[in-house]
Parts: sequence; structure tokens; C-alpha cells
Amino acid sequence: MSQQERRDDEPDVPNAEADPATSDAGLDVSDQKRAEAESVEPPIGWDGATLQEMLDESESQLEETGHYRGLDELSMKENDRFEYEQLFSRLRGALVSARETALHVSASPIVREIGELCFQVYTPEGDCVAVSTGIIVHVHTGSMAIKYMIEEDYEHDRTIQPGDVFCNNDNDLGNVHTTDVHTFVPIFHDGELVAWADGVTHEIDIGGMTRGHDQVASTNRHEDGLYATCEKIGENDRLYQDWKERGERGTRTPMYWDLDEKCRLAGCHLIRDAVHGMIDDAGIESFKQFMYEAVEEGQRTLNSRVEERLFPGTYREVSFADAPFEEEAWQPGSQQDMLNHLPVEIEVDADGGLALDMEGASPPGPHSFNAAEGSMEGGLWVSMTQCLLHDGKVNDGSYFAVDTHFPEGSVTNPQDPGLSYHTAWGTIIPTYQSVWTNLSRAFFARGFREEVVTGYSNTSDAVQGGGRLMKSFAETIPDAVGDYFPVGPFELSCQGLGASAVGDGLDYGYAMWNPESDLGDVEEWEEVQWGLMQLARSVKPNTAGHGKYRGGSGWEGVYTLMGSEDVSLYNLAQPNCAFDTSGMSGGYPGATRYSVRAHDTDLASRTVNEEPYPVGDSPPGSFEERIDGEITRTEHGLFWPEEFDNYDLLHYKMGGGPGWGDPLDRDVEKLIEDIEDGIFTPEIVENVYGVAGEHDADEREFTVDEDATEERQAEIRERRREESVPFEEFYEQERDRLQEGDYSDPVEWMYSGVFEQSAEWADFFREFWDLEGFRP
Amino acid sequence: MSSKRAGHDPELLALDTGGTMTDAFVVDRQANYTVGKAQTTPEDESEGVIGSFGDALERWDAGVDTGSESLAGIVYSGTAMLNRLLEREGHGDIGVITNRGFEDSHRMGRGIQSWADLSYAGRLHAREHEHPEPIVPRENIRGVRGRTNMQGIDVIGLYEEEVREAVHDLLDQDVRVICVCLIYSYANPSQETRVREIATEVMEERGVDVPVWLSAEQNPVKGETPRLNTLVLEAYAVEPSREQLYGIRDAFEDRGAEAPFRVLSSSGGTVSPDHDWLAETMLSGPIGGVFGAEYLAEELGLSNLVCSDVGGTSFDVSLITEGHYPTRWDQSLAQFLVNIPMTALDSIGSGTGSYVRVDPASDRLEVGPDSAGYLVGVANEESGLETPTVTDCTAVLGYLNPDRFLGGDIPLDLDRAEAVLEEQVAGPLGEDLHETARGVLDVVERDMANELRSMVLGLGYSPENYHLVSYGGGGPLHAAGYTAPLDFKDVLVPDWAAAFSAFGCACADDAYRYDRSLDVILQPDRSNASEVADRLTEVFRGLREQAADAFERDGIDPAEMEFRPAIRAQYTGMLDDLEVRVPEGVWDGELDVEDLEAIIEKFEEEFGRVFKRAARSKENGYQVTMAVGTGVAPSPKPSLPQEETGRATPPEDASRGERPIYWAGDWHDAALWDMEALVPGNRVDGPAVVEAPATTMLVPPGYTAPLDEHRIYHLQEADR
Repeated sequence: MSQQERRDDEPDVPNAEADPATSDAGLDVSDQKRAEAESVEPPIGWDGATLQEMLDESESQLEETGHYRGLDELSMKENDRFEYEQLFSRLRGALVSARETALHVSASPIVREIGELCFQVYTPEGDCVAVSTGIIVHVHTGSMAIKYMIEEDYEHDRTIQPGDVFCNNDNDLGNVHTTDVHTFVPIFHDGELVAWADGVTHEIDIGGMTRGHDQVASTNRHEDGLYATCEKIGENDRLYQDWKERGERGTRTPMYWDLDEKCRLAGCHLIRDAVHGMIDDAGIESFKQFMYEAVEEGQRTLNSRVEERLFPGTYREVSFADAPFEEEAWQPGSQQDMLNHLPVEIEVDADGGLALDMEGASPPGPHSFNAAEGSMEGGLWVSMTQCLLHDGKVNDGSYFAVDTHFPEGSVTNPQDPGLSYHTAWGTIIPTYQSVWTNLSRAFFARGFREEVVTGYSNTSDAVQGGGRLMKSFAETIPDAVGDYFPVGPFELSCQGLGASAVGDGLDYGYAMWNPESDLGDVEEWEEVQWGLMQLARSVKPNTAGHGKYRGGSGWEGVYTLMGSEDVSLYNLAQPNCAFDTSGMSGGYPGATRYSVRAHDTDLASRTVNEEPYPVGDSPPGSFEERIDGEITRTEHGLFWPEEFDNYDLLHYKMGGGPGWGDPLDRDVEKLIEDIEDGIFTPEIVENVYGVAGEHDADEREFTVDEDATEERQAEIRERRREESVPFEEFYEQERDRLQEGDYSDPVEWMYSGVFEQSAEWADFFREFWDLEGFRP
Repeated sequence: MSSKRAGHDPELLALDTGGTMTDAFVVDRQANYTVGKAQTTPEDESEGVIGSFGDALERWDAGVDTGSESLAGIVYSGTAMLNRLLEREGHGDIGVITNRGFEDSHRMGRGIQSWADLSYAGRLHAREHEHPEPIVPRENIRGVRGRTNMQGIDVIGLYEEEVREAVHDLLDQDVRVICVCLIYSYANPSQETRVREIATEVMEERGVDVPVWLSAEQNPVKGETPRLNTLVLEAYAVEPSREQLYGIRDAFEDRGAEAPFRVLSSSGGTVSPDHDWLAETMLSGPIGGVFGAEYLAEELGLSNLVCSDVGGTSFDVSLITEGHYPTRWDQSLAQFLVNIPMTALDSIGSGTGSYVRVDPASDRLEVGPDSAGYLVGVANEESGLETPTVTDCTAVLGYLNPDRFLGGDIPLDLDRAEAVLEEQVAGPLGEDLHETARGVLDVVERDMANELRSMVLGLGYSPENYHLVSYGGGGPLHAAGYTAPLDFKDVLVPDWAAAFSAFGCACADDAYRYDRSLDVILQPDRSNASEVADRLTEVFRGLREQAADAFERDGIDPAEMEFRPAIRAQYTGMLDDLEVRVPEGVWDGELDVEDLEAIIEKFEEEFGRVFKRAARSKENGYQVTMAVGTGVAPSPKPSLPQEETGRATPPEDASRGERPIYWAGDWHDAALWDMEALVPGNRVDGPAVVEAPATTMLVPPGYTAPLDEHRIYHLQEADR
């Protein structure tokens, strides 16, 4: 390797050979490095083919035979079963351990604490063979980026060499959202490209128009921040200096950027070593055969799981994603209350086929919620691994096995690099509520009542921003770290999960994009978000969706600031004013979000006098009773970046999951527990469940008043009878409303967009309501 | 080590009280050992302990009284505390005072507690996640306003009136102990201390006396969730054992024992039952082997040794690197996050009892993670099991003696094992029965090898740098398989492999370890080096004093104590720290700038090796996150057997004939040997099976296993 000489003051780069400690100790575990540094001449595909030829062949074989690489039988798996299984377990083991080692190495808080790090191995033509633990959303995004590089003929033009490093975070080319950054390392053997390693981390800051990792304010690409569009960023295992400069100068948190990049690259190199080790042991031909069979097996496994667990049929559901931007947005084009339509049809056929169709989705818009096709696919994998494929054998075979339709030109597949994709989750998360509901019905129909997931609370409030430490405080921190602190707590990974058809949902412990949720200790977070202090984390009553089985509960917290300056904070929240999902079988959705914050407060003087300060807002409105200042309280939870001073307060909350079944069927014993645990307040229990009684709040003891309960429940039943109408009547009423234009502006905004976007869906709508020529 | 000779003076006794059985391991001055067993007696553990000791001594024709008198050391480890937690049978009536606004943190368990102990598939499968039932009910948790920040500054003073109210409330609830855990108390304990002062005043007013425990005193380590949990577990599950421990100590004293009675802690030393905090003794059983291996490494002069333990339910791996094993904090007990330092041990759910199944959807073989444990497998007729296990596979391949399994206690029905394996595994896969059984072992052993590989590579080493020791009942049987894909320097199988963990307990030092979280930053230009050195000196002196006090209480002269300081450090901004021992000879009661440089150099070296590909970030400076001080007093250790070596050919009376075994697609006639009858110098050539009452060693075709003067087999390929 030629670049072994380094100046002492130069930051080390991931490079085993160049590490003097390694050479001193004589402990180098890989002798592959020298081979890696040799350059290769195209074609670099297998058996003298170019990558483009391999890709073309692969696609046509799949098209013609329905099998990946035309593999109508898995000869290695069948004839050499144990060798095959060993290779699979070794490859996945290598990915998991690369992830774990890389996590320990040098990761920024968001990666380390939340595990927003994932590694994948791809075939030369860009099909994912195996994936590590972590956020499995990235299974297919890297695949799209690799295919882009193949199709743009990087092989001959840019060249793909042993030791090269590539980077992509361009959503349009294969990424979930802008702050997810991929590092790709090609793995060569004997002059051929045998595989790709890919590592993704989620950055705390990507140099966008505002601070934060899921911007709410950006409306187009130029406000999103730093983009790498399938760029070569290094060779001979070293990153280009100009690339490093660009990343470090282009983001607000250069140190985290650097640490995360080291972490991704280190992981990819560990995986490369592992692949080389496997090739040494198994032989190159076996390894190649194994990769192809693993992808095909992924397809078959998905089919058998579907066949085994889901009842065939067509399932439909719709989610809504609100964007109440009128009062909040900065750019004139965004100042409107918007509502995205996210319909999901799932078809399960009796042979294990699965199709997902989003025809009728809203068009993209002047917001950051636009989601590229790859990111929507990612949402599918992160959901499927939690219900059907949790043995972790997910790869692009599963992708091939599902027939997805994310309509081109819609918010779920805009095909427009000029849009903002910063917070694609604003579309992905609500969409998969409907996917879960549909799959739950299919589980339920098969008898898997315990697999039902009515949905989840969207992962918000996503409080974000940043600030600087006051000088006296900053002096205790090394210069290299600077005095800027990013704010991006991942406490939002602990939401309420929806109920199942046999029990309540998990309280405060679920994030749809990462089932391994972790709130992190306050003592960890405050060491990262220096000026931001947490004053509370409490269970928030009445956030859980009601039902025979209730959703998991949410919680609330309060932040203040001390010892800081130049702080701006904002909040990304969903759902704000419109529910994104319903409960199932009579269950209610979880509560929506709202916002309370206090500026210019008397917190400092209160603390001196031992006067209470707010540690929550339960019941809502009580926050203001314990603080004087300029209070802002809005029905929507999201707000744009605003300045915060020391002693200002920000209340935030995490939501509850939807419920299942009629609340009147809920076991009274469970409701007593709910009240005593502070999940619901007695008034709400009486209103919704008709269970009345006395609550001793200090002792946390609730006594049911049986007579009053009987009476209340009878009243509720009576009211239901009175308010019920036959379906025909309801249909006519609603139809009249449509004809009269009796709907809100956001609803009009939504349907206008959908009608423009999809003639097919517009026809369906007109036909359903029997309104020929209807236009919203 | 042999148990067959007469005239023994028991020197060391190691006890392991499990949920059902209590094991005793006794060593004499000549390194002979004997083991005993008795039913565990949870009401009064001393009964089972004495019973087990007596059982062991019976084999030496000795009685408990004379046996007790000659003992130089007694080490106890047990699962009673953990079982109390798992079965929720601990002592309640615990009160908690924490920051106002954080009263729910205990039940929220950071979310992570809902999945912390699940398998890979369970972690992904969100529907399986469930929070553990909180130990302290919500009405017994009171919050008080006040706040300390990360630098230990009281940014919001303690609301003393709220404290008074909280104490009154808790006393009204009849709590028997008040646990206090405030955020950042490890950085500045003054608010916690003040809470105790106020509580004491209130109790004086009310004429009651309830102990008040402070998290900053028990374990001043970062992380308020695990810190509170550890304090609460001490009250709930640990403290109730203290009386039991005294009871055992008294029982030995009554029988004339003068030896100190010590309890094994998870961080690697033994402590007195009088120790202030015993939470560290909660999880000690499985790590005994690591201390045994550390001792072995020292005695044999090996610097790097992999410890591999094959038990009924799991495969446990730990690494001794340059003579030391690493410690971890980020662990959970029965789903609760704790900040107890524990010897680093990785476990995978592949043990001899792991179930073997075929997944009908994917047509794939699955092993574990659940296990039949002590029920062994379907071959054990009395087990009532219907699903085959790894042991059933080993049995049908001829590796186990059906009549002498576990000393003949459990007869194995091979026909039944074959029939079940055929029906449930080989048949559905369309494979030959024996090929399938071998395939199962291949998968299991390959998983074990993967675990070993990733652990060794994860530390920046390669297998070529390590020796490996294999123990546990299943270790000697699988060692050849799981070490074959890797290139270890040597594979050691002590002939006391089955009792190695207990042996390890007897090897542990008398040690008190104290941890303290810090946030000390060394600037990259070293401009504050002397301040940092002074600060560390001050902290280490404090830790040293704590250790000295503990030994003084035990009646051990602190002058005999060796003090071993260590730090945990990271490059500033990173989040994962490494433990670095202060190099030998550097600590002489204080640290200066030069000493600090030597420690940093050690850190650089360690970091470069562990994370070599990821590179150092010295431009960021260094952050010392924790000071660790361990006081170690001399304690008696067992000695390794040292016997004359004889000829290579085993004595005739060691032979038990032949049995066919299946290996590499074929049947081979394996020589059978009685492990206890083999003598040092003997060489067992494969194919062979060496049988002992509690374990079986497989020497496959092409392998050989010479027995050395320490009664350790060296399992190796014959042509190597």
C-alpha cells in the first residue's frame, strides 16, 4: 500500500495496514489488504462480464423465470445444506459483529445510543444478501444506489477499484432521508468484484437550512443540506482529503460527522475481511453460489411465511398525514394546512404472493415529507421483520417477492431530485400504520390474534435544534469539540405500541423504525446536549388509544436551558390535528399532539424560593399554573425553529398506540389498574368506558361504584343506539356533504391533489360515491 | 487432578448453591479434588451447604468437622439472590426518593428493559416485548425538586420542604428502607446527602428509624436508571441473603473452621458477607471458570487465553488478554438494567440441551435458543421430552456412553433418540439420520466458532494469538468441533473440566473493587495535565482508602493490600470507553504528569489494537470517565496438579474397549478410555472417546490428545 506515510498530526483513518500499533504487535489478522490495493481493469464482473451485463442478465432471468438468477432449485442449500447454513450464519454474524464493533469504535450519540447504524452485503449487481441488526430500513436503499452506479457505467468511467470508497445520501438514487449516509466498499477477489459492503448511519446534522436531523422547515433539495450523489470519496482505503474537508466544513457537527464516517468505513472493512475469510474457507465458486441462493431463498421464505400466516384476500386501509403549516411555515409556498392521502391496498394470494399498492397517494409537496421509492421499500422491511420475518432472514429476495406499487410522481415515489426528502418519515410512518392494519386483519383471519398490531404512536415529538455553551462552561470542553451542541434526543424511540387482539399494547417502548428502542439515561443525554436540561419524564395520562385492549401509553417531558446561548429549537410532530390511523374493531386511536412552551420565565426566581415549576402538563393546562412567562399553546404539536433563552421551558410528549375492540368490553380490573397506574384519569374512564368510582390519588387506590357504573354503561349504550344510523343513511349523508363541498380546506387540498395525481383513483372515488364528474 | 488417592487435608472449599442443588468443590494441598452434591435448602442454606461439603468429603473418607478445621478458605457463590428476583420473591416495602418529574423512570425502564434479555428474533419481534413488573410500586416512589448538572453543580437547589413531605409519605407507607437516587449524584452527592439528613430529622421527630441508602454511596456510576435499579435490587433481592450468608459462616465456625468465609463477586474477587454492598455478588456462578482460567494462564505462563464453557443451556466465552479479563457495566439482570461491574462474558444460546427443529416454512434447521437443560434430551426416557436436543445428536453418533452418562445416573435410550430425530429432523429434511445429527453438531459448533472468532477479532487479535481452554460438562465433547475452523495456539482440556467453574471460584482473589464515574478532560495539548493528574490522585486515594477500610473491617492488615488503580477513558466526544489499568509501578500513592502520559500511552495502545481500523482521534483530547480502584489481599489458591509423566501409551486398565463413532461421513472404531485411569504422559490418539463421570472428551480421527503433568489434555490435530 502506497499511502502508509502519515504526518503525526494527521487524524488517523481506518486502515489496518497503516496502523503502527498493529504492525508493532504483529497482530494483523488479514493478509488480504495487499491484494486489495492492486488495481483491476474492467470488466470487473464475474467470468469476464461487465457489471452492466451481470445486472441485465439477472433482471431478465428474474423476469423470465420468476426466480432470482433463474434458480429454480437451490442446489447448494439442498445438497450441501450444512455448508450453506454455515455460510449464512457466518455472513450474518459478520454483519452483526461489524455493527457492534463499529458502534463501539467511534460513533456519534445518535448512532451509539439509538443504534442508527446498519450494515448490508450486496451481490455485484447490487442485490442485498444479508443485513445486520439495527435499523433494517436500509435493505433496499443501498441496492438502488449500487444499481445507479452500474447503470451510469462507473465501471469504465469513474472506475471501481479495490480499496475504493463510495458515498451516497441522495434519496432519489437510493436512501431513506437526507441525514442517512451510506458508505460503500467494493470487495474484490482475484480481479473480480465479488460483493459490496454498505454501512449506513443517521447523522445528527447534515448542514441543512436549519439545525436538526429531521428538518421540518425545508421545502426543496437546496434547503436539505449536504448531498453526496454516489460519489467516489476515497481510494486505497483512505478518504480523499477534499471529501473530508467538505463533510467537516459542510455540517454543524464536524466531529460527529468524522466519527460516524470512521465508524461506517471501519464496519465495511470488517465485513470485507469476513467475506475474504469465507472465500478462503469455502472457495470462491461456493461463495458466489451461496450469495445467489441466499437471495432466492429470501424470496421463497417470504412466500412460505405469507402462505403460513396470512389469510388470502384483498385488504384496504388509508392513513392520513397532516401538515398544519399555515401558521408555522416560513416559505410562502408552504404556508398552508396540508393533508396527505396514503391509501394502502394489500393483496395476499393463496400461494404466498404479496402485493402492496398505494395508488391514490397524494402528490409530493412543498414540505420535507417527500419519500423516495427506496425509502418506502425500507419501511416495508422494517415492518415485515417485526411481524413475519423476525428470524432476520431478510434480503432483496424478500423485495423481489413482494409486488410493490408506489405510484410514480406521488409523495411515495416522486422521481424528482429537486424536492426536499429531509423527513421522509413524515410519509413512511403514517403509511405503515395502514400496512400494519391490513396485515393484522390477515393475521387475525388466520387465527393469529396475538400477532395483531393495531398500529403505533408516530415517533414524535421530535424536538430538535442546537445551541452554544456560554463561555465559562465552554472552557471545560476541548477545543476540538467546539462549543456547539446539537439537540436531537432520541427519546422518541419510546412510544406506545398498538394493542393486539388479545392484550394491551406495550407502554412507552416502541419505535416503528427500530424495535430495539432505548430512551437513554438523562445522564447520558445531557453530556451530549450540554445546555439542554431535562426536568421530567412522566407517564402521560390519556394518551393510549381506548379499547377492549388499550394501546400502549405515551409520556411527557419538560426541557429547560441553562448555561447556553444562541439556542434555537423546533418540533416535528405527527399527528397534529388529524389522526393518522384509527384503532381496530372499535378501538380508538392514540391521542394527537399539541405544543406548550414558555419564554421569558420566572424559573430562576422560583427555584430560589422553592416554588414549584412544571414537570408536565397533566391535566392539560396545568403547565401554566406553575410558571410565569410568555406561554405559547397550540393545538398542533409542530413548530418551526425559534429562539430559546436560558430558563425557557419546552413541554414535549410521546404518544400512545391505538386500541382494539369496544371499550365497553374492557375488563373492569384492567381499568382499575389503568387509573392506579396513571394511564387514564377517572373522568376519561367514566366517559369512555362507563366505569365510575372513587380514586384516592395519594394511595393510588380506585374503588368502583358498581351501581353508577351500570348506569353509565347503560347510558353509553343508549346514546349509541340513538346516534346510530343504517349504513345507507350514512352513505347518503356523506354523499351529500361531498356534493355540497362540506369539508375542510385541508381535505379539499388533499383530494384535489389526489385527483390530479391519479385518474384511476379519481374514477374509483366517483364510482364509489356514485358521483359522476365529481371534482373536489 | 485425581480424586482417587487417600489421606487428604481439605484446603479450599468452593460452593455453588443453585436453585435445586448445592455443589461443593474441595481441593487439598496436593491439588487433589473431590466434589459433592446436596439438595439446596432455601430456608436455611447452611444445611445444604454442609450436606454438600460432607458428601464431597465422604469420597475421601473424611468428616465435616475435621474437614472444616483444615480449610484455609471458603468461597461461596450462588443463585439465591438472582432467583429471588426472577421469581419475584424478594423483600418489598422499599421506598424511593428521586427527582420530581422522574418518578416513573423506574417503571419506564428506558424502554430497553422491555427487550433487553430477548433473543435476536425476539428483539425484532416487537409483539413479544414486555416491561418487567416494577420492583417498587409507583405509590412508594416520591419525587423532590432540585437538580444537579453534569458538572456536579447544583443548578436547582433541593426543595427541602418537598423532601420532608416525601419522607413522611414514605414512612406512612411503612417502607423498611428508603433508596435515594438523584440525577448526577455521582458527580456531586450533596443533594442525596441532604435528603438523608432531612430524612433522619423527620424520623427522629416520628421516633422511627428506617435506613436511608444513597445511590452515590453504593455505586457512584453514570446512568440514573441502572443506578437506581442496583440500589433497589440490593434492598429487594440481595440484603435478604445477608442473614443466610452469616448462617453459613456460623455453621462452618461451629464445626471448627477458622478459614475466612468469602462471597464471590461478579467483578472477579471475593468479599466478606459484612461488606457494605453485596449487589456485586448477585451474578457470580457462571464466571467462576474465568477466574480459574486466569489462574491457569498465570501458572502456565500464557498471556492470552480464550475461556470456553459449554453448558446445558449456553455457550459462554470470555477472553483473558495479556493476563486480564475485561469488565462491563452495560448488563441487565432479569431485564433490569444494572450498573454492577461484571466480568465480560458473551453467551450464545447453544448448549448441549438446545432443542433441534426444522422450520417448516423455510425448510431450515434451527437449534435453540430454548433448551431442555438438565432434562438432557429425548434419549432420557424419564425426561418426558418430545423434541430432540443436541445431546440426542451426540448420543446417536456414538460419542456418549449410553450406560455411563453422568456417571450412569441417566441411562440413554439411543433407539428413542434415533426414532425422534428421524421423524422430526432427518425425515423432513430428506437427509440421512447420522449425517443430519452430525450436521446439527456442525451448525452448533460453527456458531460457537463464529462467536469465538468475532470476540477475538473484536479485541483486535486473531485466534493465532490465543490458547483456548475448554470446560463445562459439554466442553471436552465439542472442543474439537468448535476449534477446528480456527487456528488457536493450543486447545487445553483440564481433566477437571466439569468442575472447572467451581475450581475457578477457589482461585479468586480477596478483592474489593470501587468504581467512580468522573468527567475529567485532558486537553489535546496537555495544557491541563497536572490538574488532571492531581484530580486522579485525589480520587484514587479515596478509592484506596475505601478498600483499606473494608479489609480492616475483615481483620486483614491493609498494609498487605495491593492497590490496583485503573481508569476508563475515551477520546473526547466518543461514547464508548475502554478500561485501562494503570501500568505496573506507576502508582506510588500519587500520579504526576509523566505517569499520566504513561496511562495515556497505554490507552492509545489498547484503543489502536481493539479498534485499529477505525482509527484514533487524539486530536479530540481524552475524557476519563471512570476511576476504578481494586484492593487485593493475598489469599490461598489451589495449586495445579504436578505429577510425574510416564509413557505415551495409556495403561491397559484405562481401556474400556471400543465403540463405533460417526465422523466426517463415516463410521470409525473409537478406542474408549477411562479418564480417571489415564496418567500424565499418556497420549490418546483419535478416534477415541475419553469418559469421566461428569464429562466426555471426543478425540476425532486425525486428532491426538496428550495428557501433561498438570492433568491437562492438549487436543490437537495429529499432524500438527
